[in-house]
Amino acid sequence: MAHDALGPGAGAEMQCRSHPRGWEMSLRLRVRFSKVGKIRFIGHRDVARVTERAVRKVGLPVAYSQGFSPRMKLSFGLALPTGYESDAEFVELPLVADAVRDPSAAEPGARHAAGPVIAGRSGDHAPCEHGPPSAAPSYCTVAEALSEALPMGMDVSAVTLVDGRGPSLQAAVHSCGWEFDIVGLDATAAAKAVADFLAAGTVVTERVHKGETVSSDIRPSVEVLQVVGCSDRGAVLSAELSATPRVVRPSELVPALAPALEMGIARRTHQWTSGAAGRAEPAVPAVCAQRHKEPISG
Amino acid sequence: MTTLWPRLEPLLPRVSKPARYIGCEDGMQRPTVGPHLTSWLLAYPDTYEIGLPNQGLQILYELLNERPDASAERTYAPWIDLEAEMRAAGLPLFSVDTHRAADEFDIIAFNLSAELVYTNVLNCIDLAGLEVRSAQRSDADPLIGAGGHCAYNPEPLADFVDFFVVGDGEEVVSEITEAVGAWKRTGKRPGTRATILRDLAGIEGVYVPAMYDVAYDGPAVAAVTPKYPDVPAQVAKRTVADLAEWPYPRRQLVPVTEVVHDRLSVEVFRGCTRGCRFCQAGMITRPVRERPAAQVREMVTAGLERSGYDEVSLMSLSTADYSGIAELVRDTVTGGNITAGEAGGTSDTAGGAGASNTNGADANRISVSLPSMRVDAFTVDVAAQVSRARRTGLTFAPEAGSWRLRQIINKLITEEDLYGAVRSAYSQGWHRMKLYFLTGLPSEMDPDTEAIAHLADACTRIGQEYTKRASVTVSLGGFVPKPHTPFQWFGQNPPEELARKVRLVRSALGRNRRVQLKWHDPAASTAEGIVSRGDRRVGAVIEYVWRKGGTFQEWSERFDLGLWEEAMAACGLSLDWYVYRHRGPHEVLPWDHIGAGLHRDFLWHDWQDALAGHGLPDCRWTPCYDCGACTEYGIEHMVASPVAPNGGSQGTGQDLATGHMVPVELRPRQLAGAGAPSGNGA
Ligand code: SF4
Repeated sequence: MAHDALGPGAGAEMQCRSHPRGWEMSLRLRVRFSKVGKIRFIGHRDVARVTERAVRKVGLPVAYSQGFSPRMKLSFGLALPTGYESDAEFVELPLVADAVRDPSAAEPGARHAAGPVIAGRSGDHAPCEHGPPSAAPSYCTVAEALSEALPMGMDVSAVTLVDGRGPSLQAAVHSCGWEFDIVGLDATAAAKAVADFLAAGTVVTERVHKGETVSSDIRPSVEVLQVVGCSDRGAVLSAELSATPRVVRPSELVPALAPALEMGIARRTHQWTSGAAGRAEPAVPAVCAQRHKEPISG
Repeated sequence: MTTLWPRLEPLLPRVSKPARYIGCEDGMQRPTVGPHLTSWLLAYPDTYEIGLPNQGLQILYELLNERPDASAERTYAPWIDLEAEMRAAGLPLFSVDTHRAADEFDIIAFNLSAELVYTNVLNCIDLAGLEVRSAQRSDADPLIGAGGHCAYNPEPLADFVDFFVVGDGEEVVSEITEAVGAWKRTGKRPGTRATILRDLAGIEGVYVPAMYDVAYDGPAVAAVTPKYPDVPAQVAKRTVADLAEWPYPRRQLVPVTEVVHDRLSVEVFRGCTRGCRFCQAGMITRPVRERPAAQVREMVTAGLERSGYDEVSLMSLSTADYSGIAELVRDTVTGGNITAGEAGGTSDTAGGAGASNTNGADANRISVSLPSMRVDAFTVDVAAQVSRARRTGLTFAPEAGSWRLRQIINKLITEEDLYGAVRSAYSQGWHRMKLYFLTGLPSEMDPDTEAIAHLADACTRIGQEYTKRASVTVSLGGFVPKPHTPFQWFGQNPPEELARKVRLVRSALGRNRRVQLKWHDPAASTAEGIVSRGDRRVGAVIEYVWRKGGTFQEWSERFDLGLWEEAMAACGLSLDWYVYRHRGPHEVLPWDHIGAGLHRDFLWHDWQDALAGHGLPDCRWTPCYDCGACTEYGIEHMVASPVAPNGGSQGTGQDLATGHMVPVELRPRQLAGAGAPSGNGA
């Protein structure tokens, strides 16, 4: 059951189960989380701080850096601009060596039968599991425990175990999926703007980079762009924008699509990496990972 | 109740640090509103990152929300960029908890921690959509309250604030809640605002300026007299006798963005009787009331577990003076181990030393910070332990350069104490440290000032024995005399004189490149001086500065002395009268009708003793000299140990030379992987 939730990292789990000694290898927990509502206004460093505190609250056995001033070794995916929402943020937590117990050693309860067990402050956790959310007051999965420990609006939708020796998430992501709305743009105008945009060979826009205005052609970075609906602010667009050689943000498209208008809210929906079978996400939300807390944003 | 969030949200992408305005802290409450609830908006008149950690505000926030008849939310001064957006959009001041408009609350209560925030108080009242002057507000408007250390001289804000709370707030907020609740239930009918104000004036520790007439004799205050017989002639401060009854905050707010003190804070005692004569906090918070060690341990354990913090600060005015500080720190550190260990829960920590932890290393990373460490407490041992914590800065505060002057201010730290502390720090791997001094102290002469440079120089020479990179930052603050201290009669140095003293230190330092000199803007000290010991007439000056856009005067990039001088001139007030002159023994001081518990006689005699160079012992460990703080209130020190932890009580003839042997021990932070097999297996 659990392996359905494990996405591309599932191999690590399988490998380790067949080679128990493999548990001593360096493993990471890869966590997918959201950032929606009021919490979208905290910065990237703030996200790191609240994540560190959440990991300590749950008591997850994460590894620390060596040295004079040991720090928790968290590594995040691509930074999300302050003010943007996201359904697809990722953080990897390197685990200490004996953190993951061989599932055969776990108690024979149904909850833990299908996956490795991770020791936490409030007891043992499975990385993630399927089925309806547990009604039990204690949090049976890392995902639930972390969601509870994180601020409102940041909820964990998937947790997988991955081999700690893989490339960093930041380097692996080649493009991001986005949804954003443009305030005051109606659907018809949006459709025409998108068609014009896609038909153009080059689209040069300006942005401020390190205090200087830089212009560049963003057309090659736009892999997908379409109108997908309407919010109470205006037309909602969906886009896939490349992350290399630099990350293009949805806000950079708005001057080209609707020069006089402002972007409403942008939400990252995906971070794509290349997998063995085409593009893939670092971790895919499990069915059970409904938000148990509603964002407070209207 | 209506939330302003939908109107605020579109403004936030345009401003700096939008996370200041979203709330969302762990521990945030989402109180309901209703006619049966007295609603408080607790306001800190500076930015969120400065105001959020304020413990006083957090304590009241919890206490009020625990009451069935009250609710409390918080607000902070919006930075100028958001203020401009709010004014353009017609958006009023809001709470960060539910984003409700400030004028929907029954009470807006300001925390006054510094004088230069007063223009922000006016700005917040104005942003709430209210008249800034109390007399012009109408019956149904929120009552404006204020408390905190600056409320001990409430007069400069007397025209703007309806009521002040003097002293500890824990108990008095209940009485205020009940009085205002009763008034609210009658519908706040027209003409009844004066009635509720009079009711409030009857509560012990509450000062209602509108209930008093101030008479002047030329530039002097002749008298402050109550208007009605039931209004007290002197408002006595409130003092919580036993801190053990108030284990707050229980759920310290954990912010989602960076703030100035981002760690767990546990108050270990309140009050200080060291008797430093420049220190208002030490004078007005007497006597010393220690929190029982068991309760401190419990608050630390529960707080760390709940918050996810890995650092705790044991707060007080002088933490090394806490009875049994060594045991407390040891238990704090070991307590962190047990809490996060597989035992879980909150088991007693006494046996926890050395407990190994199957969870890996995270649980060993609790660091303890002891603010306000006296140099006589900073030993090699302490330095060795603290150096393992993630602690970047190290500050010592000898306050004055010469022993002569330190006797006058009653900060009895010997040069050997300082050098011992500095040596401890360098020997444990520090390369730089900060030394804090005041200039412009009573009787200060040029050799005293120059002695600052000599101390700094000697410190760098000690440092060079350990590292080539040794350096010292000398930080000079201009002394601003404060009400209710022995120095309240002293004429403050003008900015030119403070600036000259800075130059004096600089030239005495010569070409010593190892000493970096920093100083507080002498002009800001002048503005602080106007407000610190000002009377009711200074209110017009504050209003003038505010109307000219002078908000955030605590921020050097926003501060403008020219504006204050212009305001003083426009109001016909003299800087010399308010700030620079020495005051006489018989003069009515503008805060004489506020009782801090200290006999005026005691303060005057201590002022005379100071000038004569006599020290004063610490009454925790020597006989009471009846300053008034206990004797007037029928309370006592609550101190667990009859012996001074530093082995010496200042001025008592006890051996100060050995006074630095403080038995403080901190447990080393274990390095990554300790307690568990090494991270990469083998
Ligand atoms: S009344 Fe006596 S014991 Fe109390 S603070 Fe004053 S001097 Fe100390």
